[in-house]
Amino acid sequence: MNKLAKSKVFLIALLGASVTAGLMAAPAKAVETTNLTIWTFGEVIQPGLQREYQKLHPEIKIIPIKNDVDPLHQKTTLSCQTKSGPADIIAFEVPYSGYWRTGNRPACFQDLRQMKTSASNVAAGVAEGLSATDIKKNYLPWRWEQGVAFNDSVIGIPTDVGGLQVAYRTDLFKKAGLPTDRAAVSKLWPTWEKFIEVGKGYVSKLTPAEKKSNKGFIDDAGTIYAAIMNQGTTKYYQPDGTDAGKLVYKTNPQIKKAWDTTVSALNAGIGARLGQFTSDWNIGMNKGAMATILAPAWMLDYIKKQAPDTKGKWDIADLPVGGGNQGGTELAIPTYSKNKQAAYDFLTWYLAPEQQLKVFKTYGLFPSTSVLYDDAALLEYKDEFFNNAPVGQIYTKGVLKLKPIFEGELQRKIDSTFGAGLGRVASKKMPSEKSYATVISDIDKLFKN
Amino acid sequence: MSLTKEGKGRRKAPLTPWKKQQRKPIPGVASLNGRWGYPAIAPFFIIFLIFGVAPVVYSVYIAFFKWDPLGTSEFNGLNNFIFLLQDSDFWLAIRNTFSIWALSTFPQMLMAISLAAILRNKRLKGKSFWRTIFLVPNITSIIAITIVFQQLFGRDYGIINSLIGLIPGAEHIDFIEGVIPSHVQIAAMITWRWVGYNTLIFLASMLAIPDELYESASCDGATKWQQFRYVTLPSLRNTITFVLIVGTIGGLQVFAEPQQLGADGGSSKQFLTLTLFLYNQAFLNNKYGYAAAIGIAITVIVLIISTINFFITRKMSGEGK
Repeated sequence: MNKLAKSKVFLIALLGASVTAGLMAAPAKAVETTNLTIWTFGEVIQPGLQREYQKLHPEIKIIPIKNDVDPLHQKTTLSCQTKSGPADIIAFEVPYSGYWRTGNRPACFQDLRQMKTSASNVAAGVAEGLSATDIKKNYLPWRWEQGVAFNDSVIGIPTDVGGLQVAYRTDLFKKAGLPTDRAAVSKLWPTWEKFIEVGKGYVSKLTPAEKKSNKGFIDDAGTIYAAIMNQGTTKYYQPDGTDAGKLVYKTNPQIKKAWDTTVSALNAGIGARLGQFTSDWNIGMNKGAMATILAPAWMLDYIKKQAPDTKGKWDIADLPVGGGNQGGTELAIPTYSKNKQAAYDFLTWYLAPEQQLKVFKTYGLFPSTSVLYDDAALLEYKDEFFNNAPVGQIYTKGVLKLKPIFEGELQRKIDSTFGAGLGRVASKKMPSEKSYATVISDIDKLFKN
Repeated sequence: MSLTKEGKGRRKAPLTPWKKQQRKPIPGVASLNGRWGYPAIAPFFIIFLIFGVAPVVYSVYIAFFKWDPLGTSEFNGLNNFIFLLQDSDFWLAIRNTFSIWALSTFPQMLMAISLAAILRNKRLKGKSFWRTIFLVPNITSIIAITIVFQQLFGRDYGIINSLIGLIPGAEHIDFIEGVIPSHVQIAAMITWRWVGYNTLIFLASMLAIPDELYESASCDGATKWQQFRYVTLPSLRNTITFVLIVGTIGGLQVFAEPQQLGADGGSSKQFLTLTLFLYNQAFLNNKYGYAAAIGIAITVIVLIISTINFFITRKMSGEGK
């Protein structure tokens, strides 16, 4: 006993010593700068604007830490469980918004209605004393709602709208005898069926060698599924007055329609079967493996970076049927953050219309601030890379056609299960009907146990 | 005389004179046996308790629950285990794990032994250089390896498929969608990472074989191949078992490679491994209780295989004598 007691004393002393040492070191550092750690992905936090903000506020140091979307979600979940972490701001994608808005999970994030902007950004155009309720009017209403939890607390502020349009290669269209003018191209495909037909025509003109090397009309015909789903009003959950919503993945006719249309595109062989963001996709973009990509606004910058040599060969046309959406991000402040005020000040500045316009012009992320949608600076913006297409105008038109969709708790997972199902059809490993049944039973499993 | 008191009740056999000599108090050091012994070993045991034992006990506990820390948690009895046995994904994961294990372990073993035999050659120049270079893949990040291999194995523009395309009539292989092709790709990554390490283990074991054996073998007129077959290989028996056991345990834990290839294990779950299955249930589907049950199942599988390994080893070493 005696020995044990002594060893305890020894350990406690050791612990005490190390804690004291840590405490002594900490305050000396904090006086100089406040570190704002941002957990983010992709191009959500733009280095240019980050530098600009640090110039405005030398006392703030912004530290973005990037992960992929799904790993970041897991990291966020874990840090919320343990109620601790280094993050002051966390980005999450809209497909995950249903998860964070339901159950007791909104408690993971600070209710932004209770925050007020400080005076520090008055010179930069953000007035003092604004809560989330005060800035709401700047944003697209349904897009704003995606950051509002079912207990009405505002957990996230929208960064961008992932408006979806068709990016196409004018040179390849010309070669295949198709029109190249964006208005004429948009008229080619008023419906998805017409889009597939145009694709068939394009593919039939490919040489055998081109066919053998897997060239196609669209990069991945499977992406049609998500595009059609997002053109509807209901996906897998239907609002029924409860927070969770009613599951309709078995009964929603929109799903079967999207599935069948996509399968007919897959069977028609119009796709190059290049999974997006794979290395083959990156290379294929340079080699003209696809003539079209269903491109959300945020993907334009990716295309520019991956295929710089194709500059001027791209253009942008309307999405079949019109109005499309994919992605979009929320920025939130975790409850455990120790720098909430500084984080909120940064958010309100970074997501203000002026900054969103800058982000759109440099990185293509389409603004969620609807006050910009009749702003000439946005509407008249043209992109050289895309053959001087008026990208601002094209994406605005698409975004305004969108209807709000009820995003449920496991939206992302259900989406990826359908994606895998279409993958099986694409690789001809399963016939459509069997693969669809597998998808449904896989989703059933998610809710069992 | 305090020494005999220390040993009392612990040892049945009397201490040998040699051990008595060893236990003679040495100033400063000897005190570790007494009052400072426990504190000295405590750091390890405390850390082990917190990070080793506690999570294991806790995960056994939550295996009986429907457990979602950010949702609801309720007692679930044996349902997790019953569901697991009925879950086709679980059996698929077992199939994939063992297929990848077999595809990576056996070719790797052959390569490692051959490379070691080459490295053992006395006339080989730059020995330390080769030995160092073989260890480099082992200290390379798995993520970097997967990125490079994905490009090598790319369906349309990968080097391997470009070579396959040169063969008349041959079709490009989809190294992600195909079941066996995807296993081959993962096995190739594992082999790349571990073959050098195992080569060094085999080399060390080969260098321990006395030269006299080879000399007498060559006096008897044995060719190089016969020397390898009848002298080298039998002496490597224990090393082979060791590498096999370590490889099996590692093989059951294959995770990062398939996860990098496709987080959900492929569209037909063709490369969903056991640990990836566990991870996805916990961190993608928020079914922590179910994931804990999978963890227990993996433990049982490892125990079964270790037992089989144990008996094989015992039989082999019995033959060796």
